[in-house]
Amino acid sequence: MRLMLQLSLRTLSANRLRFILTTFAVLLGVSFVVSSFVLTDGLTRTFDTIVEDANAGIDAQVRARSDFDEVSFTYRPFDQSLLEVVAATEGVAEVFPGAQSMRIIPVKTDGEPVKTTGAPILSFNWTGSSPSVTVVDGVAPQGPGEFSLDQTTAEREGFVVGETYGVLGVNGVEPHTLVGTTRFGEENALGGAVMLTFTLDELQRLDGTEGLIQWIEVSAVAGVEPDALIGSLEAALPSTVEAVSSEVIVAEGQDEIGGILSIIGNILLGFALVAVFVSTFIISNTFNILLGQRVRQLALLRALGASARQVKFGAVLEALIVGVLASVLGLGGGVLLAIGLAALMDAMGFGLPSIDLIIAPRTVVVAVVVGIGVTLMASLSPARRAARVPPVAAMRAGFRFGSGEGTRRTIIAVILSVLGSAAIAYGIFGGSDDTGLIFLALGAGAVLVFVAVSMFAPLFSSPSASFLGAPLEHLPGANITGHIARNNASSNNKRTASTAAGLMIGLALIAMASVVATSLKASLRSELGSTLTAEFLVLPPNDGNFSNTIAAQVSALPEFSEVSAVRYGNMRVAGEEKAVTATDLSVVTDLLDIDVLEGDTVNAADPSSIVVTKKAAEEHGVEVGQVLVVEFAESGMRALTVSAVYENDFLVGDYLIDLSGWDQNFASTSDNVISAKVAPGVDLAAAAAALEPLEQASPQLTFQTKDEFAADIEGQLDSLLVVINVFLGLAIVIALLGITNTMALSVLERTQEIGLMRAIGTTRRQTRSMIRLEAGVVSLFGALLGVLVGLAFGWVAVIAIPDSFISKLSIPAQTLAIYVVIATIAGLVAASIPARRAARLNVLDAIAQI
Amino acid sequence: MKLTKARPETQKKKHRMRPAHHASSRAEGLAQPGIEIMAATAAGLTKIYGEGETEVVALDHVDIGFEAGKLTAIMGPSGSGKSTLMHCMAGLDSVTDGEVRAGDAVISELSDKDLTLLRRERMGFIFQAFNLVPTLTAEENILLPLLLGGRKPDKDWEAKVVASLGLGDRLHHRPDQLSGGQQQRVAVARALVTQPAVIFADEPTGNLDSKSGEEVLGFLRRAVDDWHQTVVMVTHDPKAASYADVVVFLRDGQLVGRLENPTTDEVHDQIRALET
Repeated sequence: MRLMLQLSLRTLSANRLRFILTTFAVLLGVSFVVSSFVLTDGLTRTFDTIVEDANAGIDAQVRARSDFDEVSFTYRPFDQSLLEVVAATEGVAEVFPGAQSMRIIPVKTDGEPVKTTGAPILSFNWTGSSPSVTVVDGVAPQGPGEFSLDQTTAEREGFVVGETYGVLGVNGVEPHTLVGTTRFGEENALGGAVMLTFTLDELQRLDGTEGLIQWIEVSAVAGVEPDALIGSLEAALPSTVEAVSSEVIVAEGQDEIGGILSIIGNILLGFALVAVFVSTFIISNTFNILLGQRVRQLALLRALGASARQVKFGAVLEALIVGVLASVLGLGGGVLLAIGLAALMDAMGFGLPSIDLIIAPRTVVVAVVVGIGVTLMASLSPARRAARVPPVAAMRAGFRFGSGEGTRRTIIAVILSVLGSAAIAYGIFGGSDDTGLIFLALGAGAVLVFVAVSMFAPLFSSPSASFLGAPLEHLPGANITGHIARNNASSNNKRTASTAAGLMIGLALIAMASVVATSLKASLRSELGSTLTAEFLVLPPNDGNFSNTIAAQVSALPEFSEVSAVRYGNMRVAGEEKAVTATDLSVVTDLLDIDVLEGDTVNAADPSSIVVTKKAAEEHGVEVGQVLVVEFAESGMRALTVSAVYENDFLVGDYLIDLSGWDQNFASTSDNVISAKVAPGVDLAAAAAALEPLEQASPQLTFQTKDEFAADIEGQLDSLLVVINVFLGLAIVIALLGITNTMALSVLERTQEIGLMRAIGTTRRQTRSMIRLEAGVVSLFGALLGVLVGLAFGWVAVIAIPDSFISKLSIPAQTLAIYVVIATIAGLVAASIPARRAARLNVLDAIAQI
Repeated sequence: MKLTKARPETQKKKHRMRPAHHASSRAEGLAQPGIEIMAATAAGLTKIYGEGETEVVALDHVDIGFEAGKLTAIMGPSGSGKSTLMHCMAGLDSVTDGEVRAGDAVISELSDKDLTLLRRERMGFIFQAFNLVPTLTAEENILLPLLLGGRKPDKDWEAKVVASLGLGDRLHHRPDQLSGGQQQRVAVARALVTQPAVIFADEPTGNLDSKSGEEVLGFLRRAVDDWHQTVVMVTHDPKAASYADVVVFLRDGQLVGRLENPTTDEVHDQIRALET
């Protein structure tokens, strides 16, 4: 066995470039996996610390009681008179009232409101109670007309302490003096958010919530146990509010951030696994070719008495060496990649704190398992074949690995594709509530389908490559090199198929994402076109809310006939939490074609009515005229009469109540959207002009037409698609490494042929183009196959995604064509190194080589 | 064994290349053959491999000329430098010192690109083994030098070459569907198709059975006799050498002998003489 180890090491060092490229392909995959863990672990630790720091010095918190799942940022407000009750409770040392608003926006000197890239603009009252919020420059706000701003925003947006700026609240823009800048934690890590502080009174005035606070932070008298404090607070307070210990607050905060981070981590891990999967193909292919080239050596070993087992062991050993090296280096590479990714996110405006580099034992284990596991798995089939080399092949030139496995291969491919399709079908139609299980089924299904396709591919790779390479025959000035490239690409069906497989997987996923996104856009356009009959929308920044005075002002404009605010909230029906939408039911059918099936919405414009979709009506077994009992967080149980049943849930969901009903059951009276229909005879331009003054008074709001709204959403989808493509790009890079590798091996194999061609008058340039064009044909085949698989996946996804999101399939033919062209060119470029090597071969040595 | 072959009594002076400026005849043992036109010449050709202790002088100041319209065989024991001489003359290998000319082109001074074009357009090659591109058909292999240059094949000439080599029914076969002799005939056809100034053949019969070997040699002979081609052939087989008009002998990198219109026995004798 020691001998086999020596042989393996020799083989690897004799094929240094292949060895390096193969290791690099695995290394990239491992690095990506490691970085996803390192990044999430580091971010989790950092944010855990931030949450702990933010609550240091606090023993308990009093807040509105709610058993609804609500985002912690939007604590329901309660009357601030409770402050005195809390302060008077036994064991309480200090109380700090807290309020927070997302509706106050600082305005720059040029009159432009501060904008963020998705993160909220948060305003707090300054209490000085939290050690994690500190004043950097100047002082904390002391009275009306004063505010402070976080350091990062102040620097970025050019705010200077001591100057006066406009601050936009519910009453419009008012002048405020910037008295100081603040910092959150050591590095002002707000994740891109903007933080303003005011005195409590000023904050309430600007937010329009006078007399209301959202929480009270409590510190205990020395010696009072937290449990005792909570107990006496609970006893003293009304049942509408609750007291919780700071541990609970910290745990809730950490859970919430942890949840988001683990989603990010899982997404990264998903992309990483794609990269790993692609690298498996690359390694398997490389090992196969390398073994094929060493048939004689293997046969000699067999002839000299090495057992089949020893030969197999030697082959596996080589893979093991590659795997170990890739794991160790991948661990280091992963840490570097994590640092890089964090820096990238920071540069993109996510405002991350510096991250602790945590290399958890789990990360090391995964790196080793992935690196070694993947290489070993990829080497099994080549190793098995190596063991089957007969000793006589040492004496006989031209031994090739048997191709008689064609039928077996096809049978396995059929079985795998059936299993894969079944797994995907289960994921979509299995009705499982466990999203983890669904993703597992879909992922496993996709993997099986990819493997099956790559096994089917040799059946048609030769004719396909020949067909795709046909235009090369007519390439001006390169017809013969093109012809040879085409011949080479189609002469080895298995190699072409497995080289193309890596690119196929990458392109399939990119194509699928593209198909889903385009279908989503097309569905949105068509739904907006057919369902939304209002022409104008008013939207707040970052899905927030805004004062209900705006709707009244739009309504007062004669250019608009029907105007209604829309508010989104939650309620409970039969114990289950449901989204509810409130709008002016008397005009809803003028603004939105919800397709009323039964009953009448106009008569439902009262607090005791509810309108539901057919689906919801069936779910709860109610008909028009019957009563549906729902529960609101603030008002409790309500019996509402079902006044109408509708079909189309686009934009409004399954439950609709009137704004008057909202006002009775929700404390907040802010609007989320305004939809407005232009009066007959008024053109869009005139209507837009009429909105102009309102727009100027509320610069934070977006007043847009339906088309602009659709374009906005499409823009967001496009940005998301770019991010997805960047992450899938790594898989493509690995696939391209595979092409470089295969072409390098292929040049090696054809050394004599290339030498001969050079001797009889092939220029270096022609030699290079021959190799590149071959890689181009293989890449084109892989890319096209990938797009076909991606189209199939996209189609399945469009079927699987509910109609309320995607109702129709739309194929971005042009984009897909561009992807194919890019992939093909990338393949050409990937072959540059082997092409240059081929062109530089010494003609005589090449011919003499046997 | 005396081979019957047509020997032209007079040298035809039909060349596509202008003669070298100073056709060399200074080499020892190289007889002055009157007014000869040289297809390729070398003056002071020296080729040294390696450096210092591992230095090997493969060619030691060789002066030689290959007469146009003749079949010249280069012979010599292993390591005598015969293949190196051919490679240097064909522009396949660089020279350490001296000047190599093919027609008016100074090969030893050309760039890789110009050398490649020279080989493509004015030289033909027949190697011992691995002569054909495996993925191309016989016809494509034959036309390869023309196709590489983007030139239109001369259909009549091509038909003539193919017919004379008896390849008419093999044109659409791939090399692996041809016998060794057929493959070598395809290589001869490829060398002839461009009507080159010189055809270099490196042990063209080395891998063939004697019958196929004789066929190939017969074709080379006819190419010289009927079509006035110039062929330079490296061989270690006296029988093959007997097909040549001129046989030159090399030993230790130097020209050591020359025979005109030799018989197999004369070649044998010369070899034996050189070995002692």
